[in-house]
Amino acid sequence: MPHPPRRPSPPLLRRALQTLLGLLALPLALAQEPAAPPPTAGHGSYTIVHVAKSRRQTADHSKFKILKGPFKDSDGPAVTRACLTCHMKAAEQVMATSHWTWNIAKDGKDGFGKSTLLVNNYCISIIGGNTESCARCHAGYGFKDKGFDFTKQENVDCLVCHDTTGDYEKEKAGWPNPGVTLAEVAQKVGPPSNRNCGVCHFFGGGGDATKHGDLDDTILKAPRAEDVHMSKQGAGMDCIDCHASDAHKVGGPNYVVPADRREQAKFAGESVSRMSCAACHSDSPHKSYILNRHYQKVACQTCHIPAYARGTLPTNTFWDWASAGRLKNGRGYKEEDANGYEKYNSIHGEMIWARNVRPSYVWYNGTLKFTRLTDRINVPADGRVILNPAEGSYTDPNAKIWPFKFHEATQPFDPILKRFVAPYTAGSKGSGAYWGDWDWNVAIRKGMDTAGLPYSGQFSFVKTSMLWPVTHMVAPKEQALACVECHKRNGLLAQVPGFYLLGRDHGAGVDLLGFGVILLTILGVGIHGFIRTTQGRH
Amino acid sequence: MRRVVLYEGFERFWHWAQALLIITMMLTGFEVRGLGLHLFGFQRAVALHNILAVTLLVLIVFAIFWHVTTGEWRQYIPTRKFLREMIAFYVTGIFKGAPHPVRKHRMAKLNPLQRLAYFGFKVLIIPVQVTSGALYYYYPNLQHTLGWPPASLWVIAVVHVLGAFGLVAFLIGHVYLTTTGHTPLTNIKAMLTGWEELEDDAYFDET
Repeated sequence: MPHPPRRPSPPLLRRALQTLLGLLALPLALAQEPAAPPPTAGHGSYTIVHVAKSRRQTADHSKFKILKGPFKDSDGPAVTRACLTCHMKAAEQVMATSHWTWNIAKDGKDGFGKSTLLVNNYCISIIGGNTESCARCHAGYGFKDKGFDFTKQENVDCLVCHDTTGDYEKEKAGWPNPGVTLAEVAQKVGPPSNRNCGVCHFFGGGGDATKHGDLDDTILKAPRAEDVHMSKQGAGMDCIDCHASDAHKVGGPNYVVPADRREQAKFAGESVSRMSCAACHSDSPHKSYILNRHYQKVACQTCHIPAYARGTLPTNTFWDWASAGRLKNGRGYKEEDANGYEKYNSIHGEMIWARNVRPSYVWYNGTLKFTRLTDRINVPADGRVILNPAEGSYTDPNAKIWPFKFHEATQPFDPILKRFVAPYTAGSKGSGAYWGDWDWNVAIRKGMDTAGLPYSGQFSFVKTSMLWPVTHMVAPKEQALACVECHKRNGLLAQVPGFYLLGRDHGAGVDLLGFGVILLTILGVGIHGFIRTTQGRH
Repeated sequence: MRRVVLYEGFERFWHWAQALLIITMMLTGFEVRGLGLHLFGFQRAVALHNILAVTLLVLIVFAIFWHVTTGEWRQYIPTRKFLREMIAFYVTGIFKGAPHPVRKHRMAKLNPLQRLAYFGFKVLIIPVQVTSGALYYYYPNLQHTLGWPPASLWVIAVVHVLGAFGLVAFLIGHVYLTTTGHTPLTNIKAMLTGWEELEDDAYFDET
C-alpha cells in the first residue's frame, strides 16, 4: 500500500493513486475473497485497507494443532506456552514494555506507573491492596499483589491484545473468564484491533468513558462527526495505525516519557509511531498561511477537537471521595441524576458526569509532572493540588497550547507526613477495605501497610486535579474552532499566559487614549463648525 | 474665475481608492481588535485586512511613481510661508468671513497647513502603519529567526493600533475641512470631478 502523501498532491497524481488503488482492489473484488464489509460513504478507504490488512497475514492460526487445545478453563498460561513455541521471543518483548511492568523509570525518575507509587485522581492507587481488581487490565495472568512474578513468560497474556473474536474476557488478577473457550480464541488471533485496545483503554477509571473523555467504546461505531479517523465513515483507522509498535512496544506516551512526536524516521526502516498529526498531514495542511503558522504554538488538537466526550457516553469530571460512605440502613447505595448518570455512590462519593465538554487549554511540551505517594506535597493556598501539572510556556520552543480534560476530585491525604495515601478500597466486609467496612482510617492504615509505606494515623481530604490531554475524537474540519473563539476578550484562551493575543489583549489605556484622541477631534471640529454656522459666514 | 482641472484622473483614482482602502482597513482592524464591531466576522476581517494592506502597498508604489514622474511631489514640500496666516484664518478669520490667505493654483493647490498635514500623513502615519503592520504579520518569523521576545508583539500591536486611531482622527479632521470651501460641497466635488474654479489673478499662468 502506498503511504498517504505527505503534502497535498496535485490532482493528476491523486487521480493516478486512486486508479492504482482501484486496480489493486480489483482482483480482490473478482475473487470474492473474505466477505468485505459493505462499502461506506465518506472517505471510503476503510474497506480497501482492511481487506489488504487481512490479506497480508501469512499464517492461518486455526490450522495449528497446538492451538486446538483443549485448554482448561482460565488456563491462560497454557495458551501462552503454545504461542511461545513459535513466537519464542514475544513474551520477552512484551515483558520489556509498560503494558507488562506497569512501572516506568527513566533518568533517575523511579516509581511511576500503576504498579508503583503513582497517585491517580480516580481510584487513587492500586498498591494499597487493590491490585487484584485492577489487574483485570494487566496484560498478564495472576497479578494480585506485589508477589507477582514479573519474569515468568507464561504469565504474559497474548490474547487480550490479539483476540479477534471479541469473546475473550478477563477477570480478577487478569485471569481469563472461565466461560471463555480459550482454544477458539487462540485459533483466531490477529493484529490488535480497536476493540483490543479499547477493552482496557476505553474503561479507565473503572467504567466506559470515565477517565479520558476522548476514549470510550462509542468510538467502535462512531459516526464521522465523533471521530474522523476512527469512524468507518471517516478514515476507518485502527489505534495501531498511529500507535505503531516496535517489538511489542506500542508507541505512545507514558508517565516520564512523552509521546514520540517525530514526523519522520531518522533512517529507512526505523519504526516511528505516528503520534504527531503532521506525520500524515504535514506541518502546513491548511490553505491559509496564517492558519498554518498556528502550528508553531497551537496543537492541532486545540482547534480540531472542539469538545470531548462527543459520543453518547458521559465522562467523569468530578469524583468526591470525601463524601463517600453515606449509608442507608447500614448499606451503601446509589443515586442517579435526571440524565441517568450516577451522581452518588457510597463507594466513591459524589460524582459529576458530562458530555460534549469544552477542554481547558494549557501550555504543554509533552511532559506532565506526575505525583507519587512518596512525594512531599505542599498544599497551595487555594487547597487544590494538581497531580500532574503540564510543563511548558510560550517561550518553550517545544510547547504548544493543548486541550486538556481537567478532572477534579477530593481524596484522602496524610496532613502530618504531607503525602497522599493508598487506601485499601476493593474488599468485602471484615477485610478492612473501605467498601466493606466504611472506615477510612482502617482502610488507609491497611493500604499503607500493604504498600509498605508510612502513615501518621491522621487523614484529611484535599482537592486534587488531574490533566488528561485530549487528542482523540478529532472532529471533521467543519466543526473546528472558529478563529474568534480564541481571538476575543474572555475567549477560550483567556487564561493562557505569556503572550499577546490579537483580539484578547488590549493593553491598558491604549483604547482609552485612542478614543480620547478621536473624541477630542470630534469636539474640536464640532465647536469649529458650530461657530462657523452660527456666524453665518463661510 | 475660470474652471481648470485641478486633480488629474490618476490623482482622483488614487485619492478615492486610498480612502476606500483605509476606511475598510479601519473597520476590519477595529473588528479584529475586538472593539465591538461585527461586520465581516473575525476570519474574513483578518483576510480582508491583509489583502487590502497589500493592495494599498501596490497603490502607494504607483502613487510614488506618479508623483515622482509628474513632479507633483513638490506640492507637498512643507513651507512656513503664510503658515501663521493660515492658522490665524482657521482660528479666527473663518468666523468673520475673512478671505482665504492663500489662493489655490494648479502648481500650488495645497495651502501650507495642508502641505504639513499631508506630508506628515505620507512620511509618518502611513510608513508607521505599513512597518508595524508588516512586523505584526511576520512576527512569528521574527520571533523564530531573530528571537524577538513575546513582549515585542505587544509593542508592535500598540503602535499599529495608535496609528489606526490617529488615522481616524485625521479622517475626521480631513472630512470636516473639506466643508470649508466656497460651499460645503465645493471641495468634495472638485476631488470627484477634478474641476475647480480658480481665481483669475493667480500668480502662475496655466497656459
